[in-house]
Amino acid sequence: MPYPMQLGFQDATSPIMEELTYFHDHTLMIVFLISSLVLYVIILMLTTKLTHTSTMDAQEVETIWTILPAVILVLIALPSLRILYMMDEIYNPYLTVKAMGHQWYWSYEYTDYEDLTFDSYMVPTQDLSPGQFPLLEVDNRLVLPMELPIRMLISSEDVLHAWTVPSLGLKADAIPGRLNQATLTSTRPGVYYGQCSEICGSNHSFMPIVLEMTTLKYFEKWSSMMQS
Amino acid sequence: MSAPVLAKPQLRGLLAKCLQFYIITAFILSLGCATMYNFGVAEPRKKAYQNFYRRYGAVKDFEEMNQAGVFQYGKP
Repeated sequence: MPYPMQLGFQDATSPIMEELTYFHDHTLMIVFLISSLVLYVIILMLTTKLTHTSTMDAQEVETIWTILPAVILVLIALPSLRILYMMDEIYNPYLTVKAMGHQWYWSYEYTDYEDLTFDSYMVPTQDLSPGQFPLLEVDNRLVLPMELPIRMLISSEDVLHAWTVPSLGLKADAIPGRLNQATLTSTRPGVYYGQCSEICGSNHSFMPIVLEMTTLKYFEKWSSMMQS
Repeated sequence: MSAPVLAKPQLRGLLAKCLQFYIITAFILSLGCATMYNFGVAEPRKKAYQNFYRRYGAVKDFEEMNQAGVFQYGKP
């Protein structure tokens, strides 16, 4: 989950998020390369003692600074497309869960075996227990089995919302009348937080998402308990 | 009597002369920044993830978290 003075991404909990983190490192390295070059050129231009400033013939440097950016863009595009296609792979999900956005809460439906539906409202700050996080906790968490691919179908019952869990690298728009699919695989157990990511009204900041990734046995016991 | 003659100063190619040094410096600086980031941040991050998952036990981690009361419905 996020922490104060954080600069980078949250720790990755899914293989896709790991790949996205490495890709970000690769792209940021290129950004630093270009920025340091440009900064050095600016410093040279500001400190030169040369005084001739008219237009000069510069065919060679024009060629270089046309070809080199094209090469850099290809070096960024290839890993980007690799991850994009990796995210769309179909992995035979074990479970399908629907996440429906409402103003201003999420509802989850597990309809593969039995009909289990529940709402997930934010816990108001004055009702938090010691150790809980403000604006992030919910009354009913989305409990899922870890280390298994799960299909999330995301939609909305009213306006646009977006279902996000940063540590899993997931973000999908919840659009009324449309189902968006995301595949979720967690490599670790734990509790993972996210927040609605599409402006949806006055309580847009107050409809968080909380995932509990657990063992399959715990998940089965939890779903039996929720249905009874 | 002839006055002493100064050496002719360089009148052309001043920028090109400087650029020989500046271009090499620019390459070293920019590639150095990129290399420092790669070996200072990117590679250690990959190694950290590899080392973490090499000896990681998800079920054991879950049991510890469950005992600590992390999950909503406590110990099932």
